[in-house]
Amino acid sequence: MNIPEGILCSKTHEWVAEEDNLATIGLTDWAVEQLGDIVFVELPEVGSNFSKDEAFATIESVKAASEIYMPVSGEVVEVNEELINSPELINEDAFASWLIKVKPENFQEDSQGLMEYNDYKDEVQ
Amino acid sequence: MEDECKKTSLYDEHIKLGAKMVPFGGWLMPVQYEGIIKEHNSTRNFAGLFDVSHMGEVFVSGVDSLKFLQSIVPQDLNNLEQGRAIYCHLPNKDGGLIDDIIVYSAKNIIDDVDYLIVINASRIDFDVPFMKEEAKKFDVKITNKSDDFSMLALQGPNAKYIIEKMGLKLENQPKFFTFINTILDDCPIYLTRTGYTGEDGFELIFENKYSSKLWNKILSYKEFQVVPVGLGARDTLRLEAGLPLYGHELNDKTTPIESSLGFFIPKDKKEDYNGKSLIQAQKNKLAPLRRKLFAFVMEDRMIARADYSVYINGVECGVVTSGAPSPTLGKNIGFCMIEFDKLDKDLVSKLNNIEQSLGMTIQIMVRNKLYNAQIVKKPFVQKKYNK
Repeated sequence: MNIPEGILCSKTHEWVAEEDNLATIGLTDWAVEQLGDIVFVELPEVGSNFSKDEAFATIESVKAASEIYMPVSGEVVEVNEELINSPELINEDAFASWLIKVKPENFQEDSQGLMEYNDYKDEVQ
Repeated sequence: MEDECKKTSLYDEHIKLGAKMVPFGGWLMPVQYEGIIKEHNSTRNFAGLFDVSHMGEVFVSGVDSLKFLQSIVPQDLNNLEQGRAIYCHLPNKDGGLIDDIIVYSAKNIIDDVDYLIVINASRIDFDVPFMKEEAKKFDVKITNKSDDFSMLALQGPNAKYIIEKMGLKLENQPKFFTFINTILDDCPIYLTRTGYTGEDGFELIFENKYSSKLWNKILSYKEFQVVPVGLGARDTLRLEAGLPLYGHELNDKTTPIESSLGFFIPKDKKEDYNGKSLIQAQKNKLAPLRRKLFAFVMEDRMIARADYSVYINGVECGVVTSGAPSPTLGKNIGFCMIEFDKLDKDLVSKLNNIEQSLGMTIQIMVRNKLYNAQIVKKPFVQKKYNK
């Protein structure tokens, strides 16, 4: 598992990587580890808009359903369709298995409260 | 919350194995070790070892032991031979359930004990005072032994071979729903052929001091592919086997008939017991059911979870009591309680008829959208008991 360089993490365990005004969003390895076997992923439609901290997806483990929240506001431009039929890929690699890509509204401002990966790790452990 | 939880005698073993610990019924218990699906499949295909030391054990002794038990359970214990066990209910005066329990006829098997009762962990504080109060009318002694004993469940097709390796030949092992007092690996054990997975298997009840030794010994039989199993897989295994869980399929407002456990209720038990008038009347179809438990399979990939709302023909009429993906079937399954007062007469009469209810479509509300499910026969996965 490669941890993408420069990712930022939220208190609700999402990671976001921004490049050329495109933000890739996923769930952190720590959160995936806590959830255990992931068996179902519900992703939003391309073109839908979500505000920062709004629930945009649901990930279900054997035991429970968890909502996933937007680390930054934006419009969904792509969803990781592969996860619909193979949700277990998230367990294999939380960073390769991104959930959605969004065109962020205001990445600079929205990312203020996010943590660098090392700080996030310190906080959850 | 974790600080207030009790720990079983195997707590350190769970931590050593890297288990994820969660509060359950007042106890800090392992929910999983390597993963729920792997643990589930290992139990179905090979063997799984569960720490169920949170379960309660109660001894009943005295000349009125049988009379006392006959007055608190709907089941008939008159013909329960020594060494046999029976699944029972503990109703309140209105026929709702205080708990579901297993009663073991223990005379000549456990010294000075007539019956051993195994009760749910989360119900110990309700069951014991209730039984003690009920016992006042009889010459009987109730002793709560829950803190003295630990309990392991060894389940799956390889369980019997592991017990054999520990010193008890296959032909000497207790048969389904019987138990013996034996010594395995120098540890005195009440060995019962019971479980909560739908697989053949055993439960071992013993003094706390033997727990680490037995736990590690059983897990050392790698040739039988035995793995430690947490509460997560225990829940999916029991759900697939169609077995109820107190607080979900069973509660103090619902009779065992309404929880679709009529199979376990005798039609014509002579002795009076708590809740008899309603339970017996419902069993004999002389009183209507107020609600009923149904097993269902989701028609698409949505997973129903406990407390999700249930609809029939657009009418909200119940809740999911348990729901999960079934690792064995690859489908999403569950139980729901349908309230009959929310539905019209024709629909209720259809639901009251088992054959007519099977295949009926219901809807489950998942994240504000309705999804179809079909009522099916329980169990979801056939049981493989060694009868």
